[in-house]
This record gives sequence, C-alpha cells and structure tokens, in this order.
Amino acid sequence: MLFMSKKRVVITGLGLITPIGCGVDTFWQAAVRGENGIRPLRNFDASEHRTKTGGEVLDFNADDYLLKAEQARMGRSGQFVLAATKMALEDARIDLSQCERSRIGVSMGTTMGEPQVLEQCIKIKYAANDAEKIPSTLPRQYPCASIPANIARHFSISGPHIMIPTACAAGNYAIGYAYDMIQLGRIDAAIAGGSDPFSGIAFTGFNRLLATTPDIARPFDKNRSGMAVSEGAGILFVEELDAARRRNAPIYAEIRGYGLGCDAFKMTIPDPSGSGGIIALKKALDHSEVTPDSIDYICAHGTGTIENDKTETVIVKVVFGDRAKAVSMSSIKSMIGHTMGAASAIEAAACALMLKHQIALPTINYTEPDPECDIDCIPNTARSMKLDTIISNAYAFAGNTSSLVLSAFKG
Amino acid sequence: MKRKQIVISTIGTISPLGIDLDQVTAALTAPPRQAVVEAFEFHSFGKPVPCFKITGLDPVTILGKKGLRNKDNATKLLLSAAELGFKTLMEESPEERRPGLCIGTAFGSVQSIGDFLSDSIVNGVNTVNPQAFANTVINAPAGNANIRYLARNLSSTISTGFNSGLDAIIYAFDLLQRGYLEQIIAGGLEEISYYALLGCMRSGILSPSGVVRPFADDSDGIVMGEGCALFLLEPAETAQKRGAVIQAEIAGCANGFDPAPGGGETSDGSVFKQVVQTACAQAEIDPGRIDCVASGGSGNRAGDSLEAAGITAVFGSDTPPVTAYKSFTGECYGASGAIGVLCALADMKKNRISGIPTAPYATTSPLRPVFGGVDATIRHLLVSSFSCDGNCSAIILKKVN
Repeated sequence: MLFMSKKRVVITGLGLITPIGCGVDTFWQAAVRGENGIRPLRNFDASEHRTKTGGEVLDFNADDYLLKAEQARMGRSGQFVLAATKMALEDARIDLSQCERSRIGVSMGTTMGEPQVLEQCIKIKYAANDAEKIPSTLPRQYPCASIPANIARHFSISGPHIMIPTACAAGNYAIGYAYDMIQLGRIDAAIAGGSDPFSGIAFTGFNRLLATTPDIARPFDKNRSGMAVSEGAGILFVEELDAARRRNAPIYAEIRGYGLGCDAFKMTIPDPSGSGGIIALKKALDHSEVTPDSIDYICAHGTGTIENDKTETVIVKVVFGDRAKAVSMSSIKSMIGHTMGAASAIEAAACALMLKHQIALPTINYTEPDPECDIDCIPNTARSMKLDTIISNAYAFAGNTSSLVLSAFKG
Repeated sequence: MKRKQIVISTIGTISPLGIDLDQVTAALTAPPRQAVVEAFEFHSFGKPVPCFKITGLDPVTILGKKGLRNKDNATKLLLSAAELGFKTLMEESPEERRPGLCIGTAFGSVQSIGDFLSDSIVNGVNTVNPQAFANTVINAPAGNANIRYLARNLSSTISTGFNSGLDAIIYAFDLLQRGYLEQIIAGGLEEISYYALLGCMRSGILSPSGVVRPFADDSDGIVMGEGCALFLLEPAETAQKRGAVIQAEIAGCANGFDPAPGGGETSDGSVFKQVVQTACAQAEIDPGRIDCVASGGSGNRAGDSLEAAGITAVFGSDTPPVTAYKSFTGECYGASGAIGVLCALADMKKNRISGIPTAPYATTSPLRPVFGGVDATIRHLLVSSFSCDGNCSAIILKKVN
C-alpha cells in the first residue's frame, strides 16, 4: 500500500509526432488502418549500413509550430517536443493564462536527447580539421536537459522540471513521475512525454548489434528479423481530476499507477527469465490496485527482435498465468518502428486513444505464429473490443523496465 | 498523511576532495587540488587546460579486473564510488529489498558517445565496436551499477544540467515518500571528457585564468571538475533499525524552472524564491532559520548573478553566510549538487563553514560570500543551484542529533 493519499490523475491532452503522421487524428486513423511507417530512408544516408529502412517523420514542418529563431536554438528532438506540446495543450483545451504556472510541471524522457547535434559538431571538426570551426552556439543545443527547458521557456512554465533519460523506457518513467508529483501535491498538472530524433549513432549502433530488421518490423512473428530504428515524440497533458473537472476538460483516460524495475542482467540484452519486466509489471498492478484478471489489453514493448518479444511473452505468462493467452497484446512498433525515448510516451498516448475509442490497435506484418510468442497479438487488423483497464510495457538498454496502467475514465 | 522523515546515512564518493567524508572534511581546510589536461587519447587541445581532475585513481584496485573491459571512465567512476560506499550494504540486502539507484548526470558517458561517433565518421560505420554502443546511452553508468549489484528495484537517471545531482536526490526523495522503495542510492556523476571540455571551450564559458572565483566582479568563467557523490536515502526509522550513522535529514526539497528570456539572465529571482520557500514549507521552517547557503556559485558570471538574485529574493538584506564549494571542486556539472551536499555534510559535522579558499576579493554581489573557514553552528543548511539554463533546485539539510 502506498504511503500518500491517492488522488485521481487523468490524461486530457495528447500530441503526437510519428512516422505514420503528425497530430492525434492523423496518427489514430493511420494506426487503425494498420499503416506501415517503415520505409526506405530518404533523409538519412544508409548506403554503408546493413539496413536501409527506418521510420522517418516525413510530414513534420517545424515552420508550422515554431518561429525561425526558435528553430535555430534547438535540435530536432526539441522541435518535435515543442510541436507535440502545442498539440497536447490545444487538445486539452487549456488556457495557460488562466493557470498558476508554478503548479505545472514538465517531465520528459529521451534516450540521447539531441545526439545529432554532437554528430554535427564532430563532423565540422573533422571536415575542417579544426575544432574552432564549431559554431559557439551549437554545443548548447546538445544536452538533453535543453528539451524540457525549451518547453518551459516557450510556455513560461516554472514548476518542477525534469529530464529522465532512461533510454527506451524513458517515456513511461517521465509520465510516472508526473503522476507522482501530482500525487505528492507538488503540482496540479504536467506536460509529460518523450522524444528522440533519427540519429546516426542509434542507427549505426543497432546495425552493428545486428538488431535492426533489413526491411520491416514483425513483432511476435516467427520470421521477425529485428527492430526498425525510428523517430518521434509523444506528449501527454496530465492533471489532477478535480482541476480537469473544474474546467470541463475532455478526459481520455485515467492513470492508475506504474511500476519500475531493472533486469540487472546485460546492457543490451533482456534477461531471458524476464526478471526486471516481471518486477515492473507486478509493481504496476500493485500500485494501481488492480489484478491481472481486470486487464483487457497490453500495449507491448514488442520491438520485433527475437530476444525482446520472446522475453516479453515470458513476462506476461509469469504474471498473468493461465490468462496470458486470453489477454490481447499488440505492438504499435510494427507500424511506427522503435522511436527510442519517445516510444513509451507515444504508446501511452495510443493507449489513451484506444480507451477512448474502444479499439485495440493491431500488430501489422504478422504472417506466421511463433510458438515462443503464443499470445493474441491482434494480428494485422484493429479490433473493436471492451477496453477498461490496460497496460503499456516499455523496456530499455541497461535493463530498465516499466509498466504503466491506464483505465477508461469513469466519473 | 504525515510525510516520511527521509535521512542521508551511508555515503560513497570519489572526487578530487577524496574518497570518504573524513578526506573531504580535511580537503575543505586545504588549498584546492587542481590539475591540467592536455589530451584525451587521440584528441589534443594543444595547450594545458586547467581542471579539477581526479588523479591517481585506479578502478581495478577498488573493483577488481573482472567485468571492466568494456566499461568507460564514467561507469568506472560511478562503480568505484558505489563500491567504496555500498558494497557491504548491497551484498547484505535481500535481493527483493535491495536499494534502488538514481544517478544525476548532465552528459552521461559523453566521451563514449563522442568516440563512437568519431570512430564511425573517421573510420566508417562498419568498423565501430558494437560493444561500445552500450556505453552511449545516458543511463549506461547507472545500468552498469544495477548489473554489478543485482539491484533490480530501480534504475533511474536524471539529467538537468548543473542541477542533475540535486534533482536526482529530490526524485529519490519523492519516490521514497510515495512508498515505492525502502532505500534509494541517489547522487551525481560527471567525468571530465574531451567533448564536454570542447563544448565548454566553444561556448566560451571556461576560465582562461584557471582560477575559480565565485561571485567575483572579475571572474572569468568556470574550471571543469569531475567526481561522484552518492548517498543512501532512507526513512529515519529504517536507518535507526539497522544502526546506521545518520548524517542529516532531508527536511525539504523542491525544484522549478525560471523561464525568463535568455536562459534566465534577466531573472528577478522569483522562481528561485518560490522553490526555496516550498522547500522551507516542507521543512516546516521560515527561511530565516537557514544557517548557511551552499550555493552553486562557480565563477560563471551569468550563473552567479542569477543565484545571487535568487538568494537575495529569498532572504532580502538578511542573507545567511553563503559559500560556494565549487571553489574547491570546479564545476562538476551533474555531480556538482551532490558534491555540494557532501561538502555540506562535512561542514555540518564539524560545525564550520568552508568558505572560498582564497584571500577575499572584490565583489559587488549582495551575498557577501564567506572566505576561508569559519566556525558556525549549523542546524539547517540550504544547498541550492540556479543554473543559467533556468533550473532552480533546493535541498534543506537538517542536523540530526
């Protein structure tokens, strides 16, 4: 039992930048259609790499959201986040001028922040054989702390402010801490989420680990061949229920709780026994005061690598027992690829939309069942179904594990 | 419901000040120990760069050889500090109750990130060592520590620039208040790396003179430092039950962000004031009961003037003695706040304030910083940081008898 009194925390606004579309409606319609966002790369030179596909956000135009001067001060990750935050605030129909801005927090996650900025600095240095050629303003864009700072500065928000760079589970960590800060009374509302841009370091690194698919992502399929490196951002506006009610805010879903854990096994490979994922999932259920029987759906981490999908199946089987095969569990990474630090934030937003529409998104590219992943992965076609309480899993390099529990809002 | 009384008990640290609280206490009465760096492996600056680098540390003597082959310097620094402070605790804790880890760092292993990129740019993407990729995520040092100690209950990393160490402690404090865990090891870590130094050079914030002069009218920038300071945070009753030495209570803590234009350079200090007031309210004290402020003063004039504005906004003309431990350690970025807490604990224990270790210099700052060591009874000490990015963080340490 948790120590502090329990407030109800709800999601009232969403902002999404993904390879299958920018904006909540565009994303949702594409996801329900089962659109594949993994394509031959257009803006990244992959000619020397083993893999030549990935998930680029092609319809993002920073001019639609930011002044040129603002764009010049931040990297692509920062631009994604600011654009998604504008969407989320508009979606939440919140008028910040009516808010006490010291009571609004910013809680963000990422894998590497703006690694392409460091890459640019290094390329300039080697091209000129002179580090003095690096523009003096460029290094300031690199630290990942600049991402939440850009939000706070743009919207004049002065509440608690944090960046939690816990790799591919970072979005869940950030949303979870926003939830905690509201529970503890530090804030009334928060802008929470995650982002990562397409970067040379991530693409090269996963290629060198032979973790990338040569073509498309096929989570849970017997012929799955790896993950698709991708980019994007997901932002949620979360607030204390009473505050949302006072302003008649639209409510997507309620955050029930979350759990964190760690495999403590290897830096780049999940523990085959699922130790950290089991801890996170059990804690999430416990903290949310729900039982496995009440879970209707799991939004899987589901990267499409052999090890990840097998391990995630083990985790669900251990925690759900005989019910494991009856709980629907899909991977939206089959459509958008692996957006790294943005992944679990986008997935949390997708979960909120699934609860609102009572439609579970599919795992696309699924052709052949894998006996080691014998779950109901909602193959290829979105499914209308009762969705009351659902879970979103996210795992990461360094063994970080997390599970977030959301429920359909019931007044 | 009543808030839990969270205390700092066990400490693990490595910095130019030493490897335990006694060494830190002694170092605060001696001249600062600076070093210079001229090159990092294949990168050269072409000139000596003054910094506060840890010298004479061989992680193998602390950690043994096993498992270190692919670990980078930041990870070895964190593992060494953790091993010195918490090896026994970790080994003796049942796995299901083992403390979680929360590490604040501004850059993580930026040396590994930069080297990986440099290698792929210079030698081609198909030549880079895939094992090196594991070190490029910012949470790699924390994850490696979790692996070493089979610590499965929490692995978290916080990155808020200069404030990372303080914010990691605040995050851990909040998770303990929520009741998620019984104990968390929290603190800050930063290595001196070629890429961080290069970034600071190009941004024009490094001190050409190599002398740290917080709040001085003629200060000319920061001198980079490195280190790691970790603390076991736990409820007072847990510490008492296991017979642990309690160093201090975290009576209150808070953070915020000053969104004033230009990274807060025109701030009136009102956000910092609000942050300190929130921490004081948690501590159930009036700001007037703060006996000493351990500021983030670093010699960066923009940052120092921000912090001075913030502290003045809180205390008005009746400012308590203000020190700046960065005059002993340099700017350790993500480790700074945690090393500030470490120095504060040393001073609280000795009933002294370790002021700036130079002859007094001219300053028009309203803070009247302390120079040299002075005796003082400290009941409540504020460790603060107001970075020129806008991050404001405050932790109030309370002496526990």
